[in-house]
Amino acid sequence: MKTYDCKPTLPDREVIKFCREGYLWLESVVPRDVTDRVLEFLRDQADPTQANQLLQEDWFVEGLVFNPETVGAVRSLLGANFGLPPFIANHMGKCPEPDPLGWHVDGGNMHTFALNYLQVFCLMQDTTVEMGPTEILPGSHFLLGQSALVGRYGAIRGVRKCVGPAGTVFITCYPIWHRRYKATATDCVRHLFKYNYFRNSPPQRDWVIDPDFDPAIHTNEFNHLQVGATPYRRNFLDSYDAARMYMWLCGLEEEFKYIGGVAWPGPFPDDWDEDFDHYAVPPSLRADARPTNYDPEAPPMFSRG
Amino acid sequence: MMNFQQQHFVQECLDALEQGTLTKDRLSAAFEAVTDQEHKQQDLLYLQLVESGLHSKVIGMRMLIDGKYADEPENTGQWPYEEEGWPYESAIDAIKDGWRVISFPNMALSLDENRTYGLGFEFILEKWR
Repeated sequence: MKTYDCKPTLPDREVIKFCREGYLWLESVVPRDVTDRVLEFLRDQADPTQANQLLQEDWFVEGLVFNPETVGAVRSLLGANFGLPPFIANHMGKCPEPDPLGWHVDGGNMHTFALNYLQVFCLMQDTTVEMGPTEILPGSHFLLGQSALVGRYGAIRGVRKCVGPAGTVFITCYPIWHRRYKATATDCVRHLFKYNYFRNSPPQRDWVIDPDFDPAIHTNEFNHLQVGATPYRRNFLDSYDAARMYMWLCGLEEEFKYIGGVAWPGPFPDDWDEDFDHYAVPPSLRADARPTNYDPEAPPMFSRG
Repeated sequence: MMNFQQQHFVQECLDALEQGTLTKDRLSAAFEAVTDQEHKQQDLLYLQLVESGLHSKVIGMRMLIDGKYADEPENTGQWPYEEEGWPYESAIDAIKDGWRVISFPNMALSLDENRTYGLGFEFILEKWR
């Protein structure tokens, strides 16, 4: 496997945002001269869905695969010496397309708090709603569902359409639900590149550490609702799952516990009494490794956490 | 091939004929009922609600009208979108509009409080036209 290393660029808040939402949006990060050249290449291909040949081109590899904003985020999420894409697919979307395609989860998915690979999308042209963009459902990486089960769904509140200028990159968690929205534009084709990066080192909290952010205190960041997102399940479960994935990324998943109630990572206001320690904060996140009199346990009554 | 209801209408007419009570009006009504049954169309409405109560908020929907999926509500503006055109905010809204519940959410799927299967609590409703 070809690997690459660089400096991580995401701070804690952005890592937590990825854990919470299941994706990150990087607008216009791939230069337009790269995407224009890709479109030119595709026009000459008998089968434009095949784009692997581009991985032999330095301008493409430097411009897209090693795009600084993309790899900085990938490095933050996957750790050092991450694996590079061995192939690239072009998801061509013909226009018009009167019906949305079915919701699905890509093959080989598994629902886990571990993050061993990322699925990345890149818009090769300015993409509008009319062109039938990909829709993703933020937070759905934590909803158990296979394509056979989710294919029947239609309109869902809170979806995000992957529209934007050429060169916009979406870094996603593999099990996120997605589909192609209907296309009303005519006489055009939407090109969407899809590729993967891979973890090649154990997880640890080696991204950008913001001295003003404390994950033990600023628990609102884990909360889906604080960004006005649509709730898909019971209160705070999104927070717990986002926090558990974050702890896995820190290499500290064994410290994570579902305690519930007012315990960490319950979303509480940032301006609450700073002298009051959050209850049941994982030991490694506690400032100055403050000891506690009691480390709570909460064995589940009916189910395993 | 006749369905159960059509068979029932025909059997009533046969019984009446045997008894000597079959009238032209009764036979015409039977023909009309059978004809209407043939042209009745089932429409379906899938509603995913955020909670199990009929009053709780619709978070997903899909409508099958005349054998075809209907257009979905549009999202407008910048994300997070202002959603337009959602016909029902709850299952009660749909029931008031003449939809009939034929399937209730499978509550067994929500017994594991740490897992979420699929999207919300799903009601399936029908209308006959």
